[in-house]
Amino acid sequence: MKALIKITIASVLLILPLAGCEDFLQKNPQGELTQEVFPQTVSDAMLATNAVYSSIRDWFYNAGGYPILDIMSDDSHKGSNPNDQLTTIGPYDSFKFTVTGDGLDRWWSTLYEGIKRANVVIEKVPSIVMDESVKAQCIAEAKFLRAVYYFDLVRAWGGVPKVTTVTPPLQLARSTKEEIYQLIIEDLGYAIDNLPEKSLQEMKDRGRATKGAAKSLRAKVALFQNDFPGAEQYALEVIRSGEYDLEPVFADANGKNGEHGIESVFEVGAMEVEGTFGDQYANTQGVRGTPNRGWGFNRPSEDLRNSFEPGDPRLDATIIDLGETLDGIKIMGDGTTPDFLYDAEGKIIERECYNQKVWVPGNNTITQFGHNRRIIRYADVLLMAAEALNENNKPGDALVYLNKVRQRARDGNPAILPDITETGKDNLRNIILNERRHELALEGHRFWDLVRTGKAAAVFGPLGFVAGKHDFLPIPQTEIDISQGILVQNPNWN
Amino acid sequence: MKRINLKIIILLILILTGNSFVIAQNRVVTGKVTGSDTGETLPTATVAVKGTTRGVITDMNGNYQIEILPGDAILKFSFVGYEPQEVEIGNKTVINVALQVKRSTLEEVVVIGYGTVRKSDLTGAVSSVKSKDLVKITSINPEQNLQGKVTGVQVTSTSGAPGATPVVRIRGVGTFNNSSPIYVVDGVILDNISFLNSGDIASMEVLKDASATAIYGSRGANGVIIVTTKTGTKGTDKPVFSFSSEFGMQYLAKKIDLLNGKEFAIITNEIVPGTYNNVDAVPDTDWQDLIFNPAPMHNSQFSISGSTPKTEYYVSFGLFQQDGIIDKSSYKRYTIKINNAYKLTDHIKFGNNFTLAPYQQQNAPNVTYSVYRAQPLLNPYYPDGSYGVVYNVGNPLADLEYYNNYGSGVRGVGNIYGEFTFLDGFTLRSSYGVDAGFGKAKSFTPAFTVYNPDGTATQQQNVLSDIYKGNSENMSWLWENTLNYTKTFGIHSINAVAGYTMQETKSESLGLSGENVIRNGSDFWYIGPPYVYDPSNNVNTIQSISNGVDPNQYYSMLSYLFRANYTLMDKYMFTVTFRRDGSSKFAKENRFSNFPSLAAGWNIGREKFMEKLPMFTTMKIRASWGIIGNEKISYFDRFARVKSDIVAIIGQPDMAIAAASYGKSGNPNLKWESTTQTDIGLEFGMIKNKLTGEFDFYNRVTDDILVELSTPGHMGNGLGQKIRYNAGSVLNRGFELSLNWRDQVGEFTYGFGVLGSTIHNEVLSIGGASGVDSLLIGGYLVNGQTVTQSRVGLPIGAFFGYVTDGVFQTQEELDAYPHSSQAEVGDLRFVDTNGDGKLNGLDRTYLGSSIPKFVYGFNFELAYKGFEFSADFQGQTGNKIFNGKEVVRPDPYNFEQHVYNRWTGPGTSNTEPRSSFGGYNFSISDRFVQDGSFMRLRNVTLAYRVPESFAKKFKLNDLRIYLKGTNIYTLTQFTGYTPEIGSYDVLSNGIDHGTYPVTAVYSVGLNLTF
Repeated sequence: MKALIKITIASVLLILPLAGCEDFLQKNPQGELTQEVFPQTVSDAMLATNAVYSSIRDWFYNAGGYPILDIMSDDSHKGSNPNDQLTTIGPYDSFKFTVTGDGLDRWWSTLYEGIKRANVVIEKVPSIVMDESVKAQCIAEAKFLRAVYYFDLVRAWGGVPKVTTVTPPLQLARSTKEEIYQLIIEDLGYAIDNLPEKSLQEMKDRGRATKGAAKSLRAKVALFQNDFPGAEQYALEVIRSGEYDLEPVFADANGKNGEHGIESVFEVGAMEVEGTFGDQYANTQGVRGTPNRGWGFNRPSEDLRNSFEPGDPRLDATIIDLGETLDGIKIMGDGTTPDFLYDAEGKIIERECYNQKVWVPGNNTITQFGHNRRIIRYADVLLMAAEALNENNKPGDALVYLNKVRQRARDGNPAILPDITETGKDNLRNIILNERRHELALEGHRFWDLVRTGKAAAVFGPLGFVAGKHDFLPIPQTEIDISQGILVQNPNWN
Repeated sequence: MKRINLKIIILLILILTGNSFVIAQNRVVTGKVTGSDTGETLPTATVAVKGTTRGVITDMNGNYQIEILPGDAILKFSFVGYEPQEVEIGNKTVINVALQVKRSTLEEVVVIGYGTVRKSDLTGAVSSVKSKDLVKITSINPEQNLQGKVTGVQVTSTSGAPGATPVVRIRGVGTFNNSSPIYVVDGVILDNISFLNSGDIASMEVLKDASATAIYGSRGANGVIIVTTKTGTKGTDKPVFSFSSEFGMQYLAKKIDLLNGKEFAIITNEIVPGTYNNVDAVPDTDWQDLIFNPAPMHNSQFSISGSTPKTEYYVSFGLFQQDGIIDKSSYKRYTIKINNAYKLTDHIKFGNNFTLAPYQQQNAPNVTYSVYRAQPLLNPYYPDGSYGVVYNVGNPLADLEYYNNYGSGVRGVGNIYGEFTFLDGFTLRSSYGVDAGFGKAKSFTPAFTVYNPDGTATQQQNVLSDIYKGNSENMSWLWENTLNYTKTFGIHSINAVAGYTMQETKSESLGLSGENVIRNGSDFWYIGPPYVYDPSNNVNTIQSISNGVDPNQYYSMLSYLFRANYTLMDKYMFTVTFRRDGSSKFAKENRFSNFPSLAAGWNIGREKFMEKLPMFTTMKIRASWGIIGNEKISYFDRFARVKSDIVAIIGQPDMAIAAASYGKSGNPNLKWESTTQTDIGLEFGMIKNKLTGEFDFYNRVTDDILVELSTPGHMGNGLGQKIRYNAGSVLNRGFELSLNWRDQVGEFTYGFGVLGSTIHNEVLSIGGASGVDSLLIGGYLVNGQTVTQSRVGLPIGAFFGYVTDGVFQTQEELDAYPHSSQAEVGDLRFVDTNGDGKLNGLDRTYLGSSIPKFVYGFNFELAYKGFEFSADFQGQTGNKIFNGKEVVRPDPYNFEQHVYNRWTGPGTSNTEPRSSFGGYNFSISDRFVQDGSFMRLRNVTLAYRVPESFAKKFKLNDLRIYLKGTNIYTLTQFTGYTPEIGSYDVLSNGIDHGTYPVTAVYSVGLNLTF
């Protein structure tokens, strides 16, 4: 009898695990959704669209973190003290970097991360049951940002793997430059049709893409393809829309007072907080030492300083010099950085100075994290229009827009920056290129402006630029390694 | 009791008076039972009257007394490990017996999974370490005592900081993810045993091959260490009280040779001429002297144990305290252990084992790396007493003052079990075990600034004070039900077990960080609500919240197990094991997997023909094959999750709005990783088992390794993110040999042992053709550079870099050889290994492995009268260390001494390049790969056990005092603090990042029982 009881207990214990086994072994992620169930509602669609904007505030979106495009150009040097990042960023100054150049993998990965987030919206939101116009706007914003990311990829590296779905194949070869531009143009087409004008946008939505932003970007894409009629068309549409104008004060074009202002076409919002809510972009270039506003990279060059026309107030507004007082704060600079570097004949080859366009008033380092980087501003659109019109043999019209920029810079002083009257195509082309340099210095345009106009070898050659090689950056070696031969490196980089 | 005493007195009186007549009534026989090999008395030996059921057991001193009835003829004496002896009672009143040790000392009982087995019947490779050897290294980590004692086991410290746990590897590095073994403590399966007091452990069994670990199927792939804690002392109805205490001092074993102030100034002048006008007048600070100080440690334990016929109990209290040689690092742990067993009836037994371990820990900032880099010509303080600037590194003394980081918590592990025996040979056992931990973390940094000499602020500052508070908890329960059948039928004997186990692990953590605390004192380390209005002046406000589960502690498992051992004629053994496991970490299709194993053994020593070779007392050969699994990954690796901690800043004024998007992709096809292991072993004993030895050959191949691989950037997973795949296989193969000699010459006993293991580790495949990374890059340095690559044909985590070949002495030499565009005269020449005429990344090649080829140990013990002396050595060869801390040089840091022999002109040096603060000469090359071989005197103990008579004066049973030295001598070529550089990340093993040094300890202690 006792044995029978024991055997019964034994069998019960032995059979127990078979019941409820399935649920017992199912452990779902805690506090997180899985991709199968997102996005499913209209609120999910908004969350997904907002996420695409987060990537442009990522420090690595800015050329991998450090402003290497400006540093490669004749506009600036590495900056900071002589030893800081000497072996990682220093090589960009003299075109000595290699396929393992610092930051290239960061830039590549971050751009594709932004593209993936855009693809989540573009691919998954169409099937959500929601207001069609809200849906169209979400998709348009995502397509605009996808075009922004691909535009950086194609300018930096040329043809790249084309990804338009959230589940691309692991092995994907490079598409051609033309195929990528085709995708950008299609995306911008949809964006132009479905985004509202800036004036129709509520203040709480400032920073979201607008029709004007899409058209301005479209004009720039056209310029890079040497499609001057296209550039003229879109740039003039933006100008004639009346949505934008130049800030009266040049410093406001990039400064705090002009954030989301009349000149801003597309900008990156940021809060004055370290970490998730701020943007490291300005802190990287901020004044080093006293006041401690950052690391001091992107030091304006003597060449840039000397290239300004006499009396051009934009020189002072672009460069912070030691001893200057800005917003009541005296700029002392960094103790470990030499104030001046001379060559053998006593000529200044570099001096300690900083990018004033990223300056934010305030009394500590954290304020720099609130600087809003301007991706596109109206002055750029005016100059694009001038350039396209000139190439399309309409110099008279070109001069109208070119001189508008100079007029703002002049700020009422008739003795400086006289209106340009030159109408010879080649001369005017050069004048406009120089005006771009003075107006948009240290905003990441110079290097690519010279590459697209074919002047890079002539101007950057003395700095180390090699034609046929440095027109494009090398695909990061880590990507080449992982792809096991699928990705082919850019010419002359092996 | 009283009656018997009286009878003895009468008996003795009669004997003394010479009367020799048979007493026709009950009498008593007494005596002592000893072992003929050791001469020591044998407590709990059985003395029985043959042919009856009457018997007694000997007491603590080996004495017995038994009542003899008329008709009793023979007394039978027996004890485990000895040949039984029968003695005619005759007229004797005192019968002393010296038992002969059994021909096979393989009668020792070994704990294996879900049961015990005689060592002679064991078909698997199992090594056993007993209590006496587990208290030699005083540490919170009992597993430190396995190093140098068990073949195939390598225990490496990761850091010398108090509270750090070592890395344990059994038979090489098995996989790319978690290569650590599991621990089974009183039936509860755990990942670490730092809560256990070494003094509470009775034995540790290391299961190494497939046959032994198969019963743990799903987790045994990297070995299993079974820990059995002490139970009630048998053989006495009085409780045994035990007290031990040890006090020691820790010292930095060796300093690193760095440049002094003047040497650094000379080098700087070569790089930037004119920096120091008078190199003789620069200050000279030895930063290492400023942060390392001798520190005390202390370990005490008190235990009470005993048993009655129905119960056994063991209760102990322990306190372990260790200060670190760097200020503000320390560890304190209390342990309370309660083990009980109850015999309800002859067939029903219950028991429980509980351990509770509260602990407190303080962690210092990483000043070890700071003092390595700090320029020696800077003063730690300014004349006014404030902290001096230390460029690019930060003043380590300021770091120590302003960094406050604490951890504390409680760990509780325990189980209760019940056993029913029924019918003939069946035992049903059910056991429920729990592992629960609660932890708290706290850290505070006040606002502070270190100034430059001119009064401006340096980068070493904290604008607003920071505070972090975190709570974490985890709970794991394990329910095991097994049915065991043991029976011997004539020449056949069977021992089988079948059953199932269920386990669930859950966890949660909550962390808050805040800023701008109103005052600095610890009374104010609390966080308040989030204000928004004036972010620059809010006090005590939250900055961030994190709440979630620990991804490695959230899973469940269900397993079925079966094992049968069959022994024929005590000579031929066969074992078959089968286990089926299901884990929540895999999707339904791949959830379950089967793990079988077979083993056989042959006790040659028992064969008739072996009697021709009498010098071999025992000999056994065994072989095993089996498949065991592993699934130590995060519970969410198979899921593609949505990342919802994304924020977009939209609007004028700026607003933070919520965002969410796809995080990295998951892999729903994940399945079990499996290791197939074969083992052949030979165990023998010679010369009356004075010499014993064991020899093993093993071969383990791990397939479908769960490894995280980088995906191409276009997948959009984000920088540095990896996805888990089953995509790798690794081979570990080697020999193990251990030999031990124990002998006694009069009152002098001595013994020595030597053991060695070889390891051949090789990656067989990675990634496959799936398009993911087929090259596991790892070993990340502080600046993101990588040092290791795991490639097919090489060991895991092999070092990769340039090969150096001298220094370019002249411009002609430079022009004549392929070189990087950055190289100049006086720089290192890197070899163009692929001979393509260009010097670039493709010339990086295999520079060595951090996995040793040979691990060894030897130990010896001497005892004479009450004195005991023992010394343990351990070592390894064939491994390299990468001096990672020397390579990362974005700024002008200090240098190691060898840099001073630099090139200053043609012919001055062909080994050290010209002076430079960083850059080209500090590329990843064999310049920084050093020989990591070492031999270390791990432990040396001199003890004295006072004579029994002297101890009795203090009412003590036993009193032993000792002096001990730990890690007191290391022979190595490595220039860092210690050649033991372990890491849980198998891809980053053997890289010195500037970790907290391991120390040498000198201690004194005593053990006593009463």
